[in-house]
Amino acid sequence: MKEFQMSLQPVLARGVRYRWDEFRQQHQLLFPEGLLVLNTTGAAIVRLCHNRSIEQIRNKLAQSFSDADLGPDIHEFLERLVERGLIQWCADPEPRLQD
Amino acid sequence: MEQRTITGAQSTAKDDRMEPRPFALLAELTYRCPLHCPYCSNPLQLAKYRNELDTSTWQRVLTEASALGVVQVHFSGGEPLVRPDVVELVATARAVDLYSNLSTGATTADPQILANLREAGLDALQISLLDAREAENDFFAGAPSFKQKQSAVRAARQLGFPITLNVVLHRQNLSRLQEIIDLAVTWQVDRLELAHVQYTGWAFQNRSALLPSRAQVESAEQIVANARERTGDHLQILHVLPDYFQEYPKTCLNGWGRTFLTVAPDGVVLPCQTAREIPQLCFPNVQDGSLETIWFHDPVFQRFRGTDWMPEPCRSCDRREIDYGGCRCQAFLLAGDPAVTDPVCRLSPHHHLVEHELQQAERASPDFAYRVMSGGEGLGQQ
Ligand code: SF4
Ligand code: SF4
Repeated sequence: MKEFQMSLQPVLARGVRYRWDEFRQQHQLLFPEGLLVLNTTGAAIVRLCHNRSIEQIRNKLAQSFSDADLGPDIHEFLERLVERGLIQWCADPEPRLQD
Repeated sequence: MEQRTITGAQSTAKDDRMEPRPFALLAELTYRCPLHCPYCSNPLQLAKYRNELDTSTWQRVLTEASALGVVQVHFSGGEPLVRPDVVELVATARAVDLYSNLSTGATTADPQILANLREAGLDALQISLLDAREAENDFFAGAPSFKQKQSAVRAARQLGFPITLNVVLHRQNLSRLQEIIDLAVTWQVDRLELAHVQYTGWAFQNRSALLPSRAQVESAEQIVANARERTGDHLQILHVLPDYFQEYPKTCLNGWGRTFLTVAPDGVVLPCQTAREIPQLCFPNVQDGSLETIWFHDPVFQRFRGTDWMPEPCRSCDRREIDYGGCRCQAFLLAGDPAVTDPVCRLSPHHHLVEHELQQAERASPDFAYRVMSGGEGLGQQ
């Protein structure tokens, strides 16, 4: 089980834009090479990625989603976006992951 | 423009009556270009298509594209920056809520025009590079351009653009792949797109000079894998493998008339940017009707949409909704018939044609022909 830092702040990488597609009734993350369709939770996380730590995002989400602890899910979701270059960590003084 | 793929687009819309709807528009603003890349995806008979749409028609196209469901526009060419109205068109794209990309060879990308594009709302910039070394880059491009590309990257970075460096890989630059990756790191671009040549357009003409050996392709995969380990999340590396070396064809643009459309400089609407080279097909023009009518009702968009058109072996193949039978242009170029299985597929009855080319590629390589505006004084040659 991975430990992670709840104080990390995720931000959308340069050139990445969130968009609600009225036509298709879907949340989209647009980037130079294409787009990613997000589910409701994913979209809610992405839209909170601005001046907030993971912990703050989790607290915010807890108000709208009842799932007990979204913390690990949020982190896993964000890590996947980081791997694709869509999210970057900012204010990251410590090594992020320890096995 | 150099060749590229649009990935990540997936159709999940629910309305069956009006399905599928396109996600991406390739807007080829002009075929004019100061460079002469030997693998250019523009048509061979460039001089035949000198007429260009005017500004207001392009603006209508962008507006109609957005209304049709398109979310991303890719401005390309030729060299889109030779159009004096390019900034205006980017602003229109922004106004109709399209995410915009622009591909440039960068020889005309001075800091002022880049700043204007940024201000007009351009989301992302793609700059092509032909080789890691100046002499080789300029040789392949048929014109001095390395220095200009380098300064354009610098200027674009200062403006805060996300930058993708596009490098088309082939037999004659693959030995410098490591240097190309190192350069992308030094230039601090966000993404490096390494796409092996697709053999349509000029590249088909120059196939024997461009097609790499199998050993080169395998070593490239290794180099990219190692580089990804080193660069981690700092540089995204996209590596598009050459389909001649695969067992099955690539999923050409997610299938014919499914998620993608191209509008050529003269207004011709194409399911794929190289499709106008298929002489059996007759393509509509934006001047004759709306994009919506063309997309849903023009016979050429219906022709290879879905799976009904398929012959064997595709018809009964498990992969038919994965690769949609491969590339129609490649079927035409190799087998002479756009309606057969892509010969790249190992199940195709024409697959020996590809194998033959690959065997040739294991031997020496002749020279290639530069892309020129045939018929003389093309603006591309100034
Ligand atoms: S010749 Fe011009 S349009 Fe063609 S690939 Fe090169 S830069 Fe792009
Ligand atoms: S036979 Fe057709 S559908 Fe099957 S893998 Fe080959 S090209 Fe794709």
